[in-house]
Amino acid sequence: MRKTLIVAAAEFGTLVRSKAFMVTLILMPVIMAASVFLMKTTRNATDTLERTFAFIDHSGIAAPVLKAAAEGLIVPPAKDAPPRFTPVEVSPKGRSIEALRIELSDRVRRQELFAFVEIPAEIVDPDSKSEIRYYSNHPSYAPLPEWLRTTVNYAVLAERFRAATVDPRLVARLTRVAPVSNLGLFERDAAGSVQAGAEVDPVRAVGVPAVMMVLMFIVVMASAPQLLNTVIEEKMSRISEVLIGSVSPSELMMGKLLGCAAMSLVLAAIYIAGGLVMGQTYGYADAVSARMAAWFLLFLLMAVLIFGAIFIAIGAACNDLKDSQSMMTPVMLFMMVPVLTWSAVLKAPDSTLSLALSLLPTATPFLMLLRIGLQPGPPLWQILLSVALMAVTTVVTVWAAGRIFRTGILMQGKSASVGEMIRWVKAG
Amino acid sequence: MKDAIVLRDVTKRFGPVSAVSNLSLAVPAGSIYGFIGPNGSGKTTTLRMIMHILLPDHGEIEVLGSRDTAAARDQVSYLPEERGLYKKMTVRRLLRYYAKLKGCRRPEIDADVDEWMVRMDLPGVLDRTIETLSKGMSQKVQFISAVISRPALLILDEPFSGLDPVNAQVLKDAVLEMRRRGATVVFSTHDMDTAEKMCDRLFMIFKGTKVLDGTLHDIQEQYGADTVRVRTTGGVEVLAGIPEVESLNDFGQMQDVRLRGDAQAFLAHLIARTTVLHFEVTRPSLQDIFVRIATPRES
Repeated sequence: MRKTLIVAAAEFGTLVRSKAFMVTLILMPVIMAASVFLMKTTRNATDTLERTFAFIDHSGIAAPVLKAAAEGLIVPPAKDAPPRFTPVEVSPKGRSIEALRIELSDRVRRQELFAFVEIPAEIVDPDSKSEIRYYSNHPSYAPLPEWLRTTVNYAVLAERFRAATVDPRLVARLTRVAPVSNLGLFERDAAGSVQAGAEVDPVRAVGVPAVMMVLMFIVVMASAPQLLNTVIEEKMSRISEVLIGSVSPSELMMGKLLGCAAMSLVLAAIYIAGGLVMGQTYGYADAVSARMAAWFLLFLLMAVLIFGAIFIAIGAACNDLKDSQSMMTPVMLFMMVPVLTWSAVLKAPDSTLSLALSLLPTATPFLMLLRIGLQPGPPLWQILLSVALMAVTTVVTVWAAGRIFRTGILMQGKSASVGEMIRWVKAG
Repeated sequence: MKDAIVLRDVTKRFGPVSAVSNLSLAVPAGSIYGFIGPNGSGKTTTLRMIMHILLPDHGEIEVLGSRDTAAARDQVSYLPEERGLYKKMTVRRLLRYYAKLKGCRRPEIDADVDEWMVRMDLPGVLDRTIETLSKGMSQKVQFISAVISRPALLILDEPFSGLDPVNAQVLKDAVLEMRRRGATVVFSTHDMDTAEKMCDRLFMIFKGTKVLDGTLHDIQEQYGADTVRVRTTGGVEVLAGIPEVESLNDFGQMQDVRLRGDAQAFLAHLIARTTVLHFEVTRPSLQDIFVRIATPRES
């Protein structure tokens, strides 16, 4: 055990001095903050371009509404700063409608106009199936057709109500939709009085569990794959021969796994400490419960042991990094399962799919953690079952990796095939 | 003298290839023992089995009195032929790590490191990473990493290969120092001159089988006094066709001739052909013996 700890300390020292650790530690929060900043900035600032479009109003009711809406005088409201649209009314003036359409199309091609739109005369008729016809050479641009749909329909509905002698303001009052407020459950306090549930905070309800899962992923990805590099370096430089002359292969492998686990815990601790400082600043100091933190640590430890053992085995079986890439692919696919499925789990954490995915041992640390964080959380038996499955997987993986490691670490020449690795596991 | 290493009827196979066959060997404690043999003859496999890096398929190995070679790990140090060093580690960190793995404590490690740095003429490299060192410096650091734990048995695989004469001499002095301190030193080498001069005993393995084992004197006795060293005005050409010449090793100015017959008859033939400047009946060198064993025989 003493030698295992010496190896672990050396491995830990090597890993925390590595560029990968520093990059993850410093650059990852910078990249994440920059991504959030860019997303916010681009969402609000990308569409400031003024777009001029022509419209042919056969109905005779849309023109004033479009102009008023373009000046921001009437609905439709926009959540963010809306794009700037400038409507220009055109009419055939003795030309055929086809000639006008061709002329407007050419103006769009010459970029004098962004698009043009035709509002049919019969659109006011409630029984009509006619459509607002929007013509553009920017088919992927959605804001303008959406703005037209809302604005023209606003004018059409107003005209229909007027024709039916119904006051549009009365309709608006009568058809007001009642919003849903997302609240917590009632509970009785110590004095026996009933306390109303507080409004659900999306940051606590969804944001924190999702961030914890992403953090787990970052930490596992920053730690376990590094073992592959260290093992291959030791094998190629014959360092492994010196080490095996001093420690047994199992002591060496366990030391590496422990060093890697320690590094991942340090990395997680630094991020969590940073998160707590941020939480304190923004009133979310209590957003991560002790229970959630405990599950996080347990799952992190087991994830690092499972993936670390797999990467050690691959490193021992391969003679260079190039050979290891092909063996890494299926492992990376397993690691990507949570990334590809976490949004489905987030939408329905109690679904059968979510349960099945969170019981998959390589996905449990990420998806079960997410489910635990999402209220009301999974039943305890599901959590315990996932822990049991992971524990068994951890033991089996470390045991099998140990058998591959002790044979592969001293093999020189060609890299082992998967079949050979299986034979090593069986032979012992 | 008690033996530091004993091998009894040891065999190691890799698939269908027999790397070492029925090898028995005893390395006396406190000696310098040379392992020689052509490439692929089984030297490194034997050293690895002694180090418990490989396990024999058959036979038993006793290291420092223990049949459990793993138990002797802390008292045995191994220097592989390749560097065996972490490129990104500093020299200080590496030496501490290797010594701790052998059970040493920090204060004694640091004191010994300072001493060996001076002895190996490596000033100011402790805080440099291995990748910044020259090959000679790396080999010296590698040697220090093997001796820093004060091993009772030091096993070196090709320790002098690739070193310039100055660094080779420093390393030879260091090996002798380890012997002075009571360690048993086993090393493999292709340099017969070094093996002759440094080793108390020599062992040669060829195609996995022991072919020589003993002191240099014993081995030379085994091969008799069938070699003469000659220097003539006629050079190597005059030796052609003399019936007593079995084979020869031409050094340009001088030739070592292995005889199949009487030395006096050979001298008579030589005098008849040229002026003889030097004629010395001698025993074959280790190099000659090595070549005789390792050269493929014509059928």
